[in-house]
Amino acid sequence: MEPAFPWQARSGLPYLILATTMFLTRDRCGILRAVRVLLVIPALNEEAVIGSVVEELKQAIESGAITGEILVIDDGSKDRTAEIAHKAGARVARMSRNLGIGGAVQCGIRVALREGFDGAIQVDGDGQHPPSEIAKLLEVGAREPASDLVIGTRYLSSDGFRSTFLRRLGGWWLSRLLRVVAGASVSDPTSGFRLYGKRALELFDRNYPYDYPEPEAVAIAMAAGLRVTETPVVMRDRQAGRSSIIGYRTIYYMLKVTLAVMLAYVRNRKR
Amino acid sequence: MFERYWLFAAFCFIAVVILVRLVLRERVTLQASLSLLLLLGLMSFVALFPNVASRLAQTMGFTLASNFFFAAGIGALMLLHVHSLVTLSRVELRSITLTQELAILREKLDQLSEKS
Repeated sequence: MEPAFPWQARSGLPYLILATTMFLTRDRCGILRAVRVLLVIPALNEEAVIGSVVEELKQAIESGAITGEILVIDDGSKDRTAEIAHKAGARVARMSRNLGIGGAVQCGIRVALREGFDGAIQVDGDGQHPPSEIAKLLEVGAREPASDLVIGTRYLSSDGFRSTFLRRLGGWWLSRLLRVVAGASVSDPTSGFRLYGKRALELFDRNYPYDYPEPEAVAIAMAAGLRVTETPVVMRDRQAGRSSIIGYRTIYYMLKVTLAVMLAYVRNRKR
Repeated sequence: MFERYWLFAAFCFIAVVILVRLVLRERVTLQASLSLLLLLGLMSFVALFPNVASRLAQTMGFTLASNFFFAAGIGALMLLHVHSLVTLSRVELRSITLTQELAILREKLDQLSEKS
């Protein structure tokens, strides 16, 4: 007589089939909910928008879409960024002086690593990154083989905010450079919407670039043998403030980042 | 017979005195100023004994001793500059780490004071 349930079978095959089916059709959301992440928000003079960013993320946590905590890194703001973020319900680490985005992000990475989080998600403090898109990063991070660094890219999706032509051109150049130098396939290397896995946390705790860090961080990750992937996300236009890379700084940015990517890869590659 | 460059030697001596005073007032560390002190000492020696520098210049193929002096001076200053860059970068990295650690500790303190 055929057994009604797999566990009634004498052979181990039904168990294997059941286990495989469960693995393949597992409730992804359930697994993602089990991942405890630290949402790191580097912010500098973002009083106009930081409150709503924190509240949006808080709602996502309360709804159960994300398991984790929110940490705002106030990078030496002169306004009420820290106070508003704290009132909105975030943990706030206040820098005594401005370190730049790299120093702020690394501070968040250090907290995530020390407090045993499974990963950290970098979210901009200017409201560009909708919390609803975090699930996409987590899903790619949970996929096998596991990714150590997942980058949310705005260029693989036709929806949402698109940056200016010059910025896209700069992004294209850095993307090509990363492909040639580090073998990375990243279409939006300047995106600050990222998921850092455990190995990335350990790496960037020791070594994270301070000045315009995003493309260089990809080169460091690739050189260290980490798995870097990307996923299309929808981004919004910044809700307040403006980019620090304007005017002559654009030329400095491109020169500095180009050189930094090459040097970072050579310096950090596994021997 | 070589003449001695007393005025230049005096200038170097004054620079040494200023540097030593800065060390004594703890405005600069002895470790950081040691290489500059060494350079000033060498320059004073060359000012007082130019024949040594002249012989060295001839040995190294310089037609004029002054050319050798300038080349050596520029080279030494470049080395000092690189040394300063290394020191400055190290201090900057330490400062970044300390600022991060301070922010993390302040955040922990805030959490503790909220709980209590």
